[in-house]
Amino acid sequence: MEERDGRAGGFRKDTVERLLRLHFQDGRIRVSADAQLLMAELLKVFVREAAARAARQARAEDLNKVDTDQLEKVLPQLVCNSGPELQWEQDEYVC
Amino acid sequence: GALSGRLKAAVHYTVGCLCQEVAEDKDVEFSKQSIAAISEITFRQCEIFAKDLEMFARHAKRTTVNTEDVKLLARRSNSLLKYITQKSEELASTNMEQKEKK
Repeated sequence: MEERDGRAGGFRKDTVERLLRLHFQDGRIRVSADAQLLMAELLKVFVREAAARAARQARAEDLNKVDTDQLEKVLPQLVCNSGPELQWEQDEYVC
Repeated sequence: GALSGRLKAAVHYTVGCLCQEVAEDKDVEFSKQSIAAISEITFRQCEIFAKDLEMFARHAKRTTVNTEDVKLLARRSNSLLKYITQKSEELASTNMEQKEKK
């Protein structure tokens, strides 16, 4: 991880912690500091993946601007619950 | 509420920065609407992640979510799991170094 000051190349550690806490059913649930940093990494990969897939879709349509139409086309494969065959192309994005 | 509004704004800001990196890398532009849509998807995905993490921790009879729970989130994709496991190991070794310094 490139830094320890609350940022993990994108999302701030405390933002991640608040985002998760917002949705916990049990108020006693906490997130360890390492888990916060790792979640920041996972969210960063998620966003880059969404952006890269939409960009690729735009390119395939001969566009140089990504709009919501391109995003909608790549969305079903992106969302994690869509299935175990999901292929992340993040090898391009290893920090 | 006000809290989720501030969080959404924070997510939107970071998504904007990350999209900018991808834009430069792939030589495309992102419309404002597409960045807003990615922010919204990410915000909603956090709800799914949070509920899974809570369930994994409780399944292991813990009240603290740890890195093992985060690895479970990434289990569906081999390449994502590999990346997250590597990051987790980096974290653990950094922690070890810091302990040795003390």
